[in-house]
Amino acid sequence: MLDSLAASTADFNPTKSVNGRMLKRLIEAGLTWLHSNQQIVNTLNVFPVPDGDTGTNMVLTMQAAFDEIKHSNETNFGKMAHTVAHGALMGARGNSGVILSQLWRGFARALDNLPVLEAQDFARALAEARDTAYKGVVRPVEGTILTVAKDIAAEAEHIFHTTDDFLQILESVVEAADRSVQNTPALLPVLKEAGVVDAGGKGLYFILEGMLRYLKGQALDIVVGTIQPLSEMVLQNTLETIEPGQDFEVVVDFRPTAAIDLPAFYGMLEQMGTSIQVGEGEGIYRVHIHVPTLNLYAPIDYTRSIGTVTRVAIENLIDQIDGRKSSCVESAPVLTPVEPGQIAVVVVSPGTGISRVFASLGASAIVDGGQTMNPSTQMIAKAFEDLPTDKIIILPNNKNINLAANAAREVSVKEVAVVPSNSVPQGLAAMMRLIPDGNFDNVVSEMKQALEEVQSGEITCATRKVEMNGIQVEEGQIIAILNGKLVYSCPGVEEALLNLLSIAKADQYELITLFYGADILPVEATNIADKVQSHFQSQVIEVQEGCQPHYQFIVSIE
Amino acid sequence: MSEKNLQYELIPLGTIKVSPNAIANIAYHAALESYGVVGFTSKNLVYGLTQAIVKDPTYGVDVHYDGKEIDIDLYLIIEYGTRIKSVAHSVSNTVRYHVEKALGISINEVNVHVRGLRISDID
Repeated sequence: MLDSLAASTADFNPTKSVNGRMLKRLIEAGLTWLHSNQQIVNTLNVFPVPDGDTGTNMVLTMQAAFDEIKHSNETNFGKMAHTVAHGALMGARGNSGVILSQLWRGFARALDNLPVLEAQDFARALAEARDTAYKGVVRPVEGTILTVAKDIAAEAEHIFHTTDDFLQILESVVEAADRSVQNTPALLPVLKEAGVVDAGGKGLYFILEGMLRYLKGQALDIVVGTIQPLSEMVLQNTLETIEPGQDFEVVVDFRPTAAIDLPAFYGMLEQMGTSIQVGEGEGIYRVHIHVPTLNLYAPIDYTRSIGTVTRVAIENLIDQIDGRKSSCVESAPVLTPVEPGQIAVVVVSPGTGISRVFASLGASAIVDGGQTMNPSTQMIAKAFEDLPTDKIIILPNNKNINLAANAAREVSVKEVAVVPSNSVPQGLAAMMRLIPDGNFDNVVSEMKQALEEVQSGEITCATRKVEMNGIQVEEGQIIAILNGKLVYSCPGVEEALLNLLSIAKADQYELITLFYGADILPVEATNIADKVQSHFQSQVIEVQEGCQPHYQFIVSIE
Repeated sequence: MSEKNLQYELIPLGTIKVSPNAIANIAYHAALESYGVVGFTSKNLVYGLTQAIVKDPTYGVDVHYDGKEIDIDLYLIIEYGTRIKSVAHSVSNTVRYHVEKALGISINEVNVHVRGLRISDID
């Protein structure tokens, strides 16, 4: 990704003034650094379930901005800034993305056709960016990305009187952004309660810091010396960033014999491969790395030299680029073909195992998506557009996807109904009522009724500390969610599951189905199911491979 | 406080009723805090006139409750130059989140009707 960054920086002296080409590289640097730190921003979300939002949205917005200028050779700074602003506007995703696009819009407007950017222009543009962003909201909430934009503009206006060195100015702007981000909890109580800083503000900080790091010649694609809790390692996402030549993904768990010297540790890993992530929990370290075939065993040998290796997992990435999902048995669900005039069901499914179950019940199309990856309207619409029937039912299986499903209904010329299932169990209950040759309206209302007849439970890991519904949750704890509400939290999956079932009064129901997630081994799932059976002896317990990310278990009680 | 006072039985205390107006109020404030929303407009002219006389803080918000599901309709003015689709999407998310958080009741639909744009700057 950074090949073009390595290209000449010698067109002019970058520290006194900046031209359009330099801006392009700065944008790429900001995007790359934000991308490297995306997970950090995502974990700052104020709701405790994994809901990878702000970081992802900001990366997508910046990516759209960069895509717009990727092939441009424009040297005029102002023109380049306008193109960036246009790209950001078109690609703006989510609240933070929209604000980011407004910042770029204001920034570009202040510069108009300016050929090169100098210190005082930079201050003026940041001020205009702030003004434009503030205009977009009636009641600006302080302690957000807006506050950070305000503080950096103030810093730039102050500093350009003392120096015209762009590097120095950017340095103090980045420092101001950092201070401002650290101060956000003091301004916004909801952040203080949650014990986090504002995610959008942090994202803006990373963009600016990326630009600064680029000017200083520092690396942009690694997170130096950061260790995250094991529970926060979202390894599924690393598949998106496979570089050519990195053929294998190696994950090693080990127990170090002595304290780890992080910079040296990272230094060694960097020589072996890319996409490095290190997690730590209860004395165990987990290293995730992408390596070329040649270095396949290097991470294992290295960790063996500094500790005791407890577990190793190797995946062939080349094999996976098409098939995505990792630890689950890879067999594509067999979809039910649909005849013209029949009712076809389109299902949004968070995991391959769940997809297979839906397919076996007669789903005609499956869209991948769930809590952290909401499919777009287009993805849903595309799934049913080509089906040879015009009677379509959509099961979104997640509250956040309802909207996209409804939008898909509106853009389609077919007769489409959305049965608003908020969870996989609800979706399955509705699926049972499908009669492909039945009367469309009757089937839809039957399916809607079925939604009420099932209870949905989820077991997942809290990504941060929170107190909600009177339940105190520590970061990394297992939480139980019943019909969308947090009901229990404790350190263990099994305990959480049993408590979830007793809170749901599962003893008054007949069937309990457990879909185990991608992080749970089949053996573990069977053991837990045995425990459940011993507590709920008169209920039928079914165990299914769900392969969903983030959720250890999805539970259907009916 | 003695030990004895702390022990009490859980007995039904009565019912709680929340009027659509109260829900509209929460939605109104949540929407106004949402980025890109610069104002509300009335659903139609007649309604607009009555609202102009009786000024209430639920202007441009419609709450429907059919005994089972709650739908919220928002009639908004958005800042020119923002991505309207994204703004509408996040307004709808924010309103749903705040209303559900405040009431503990799940919302069926939040519909966003963009009725106009406010132009403060033209690029």
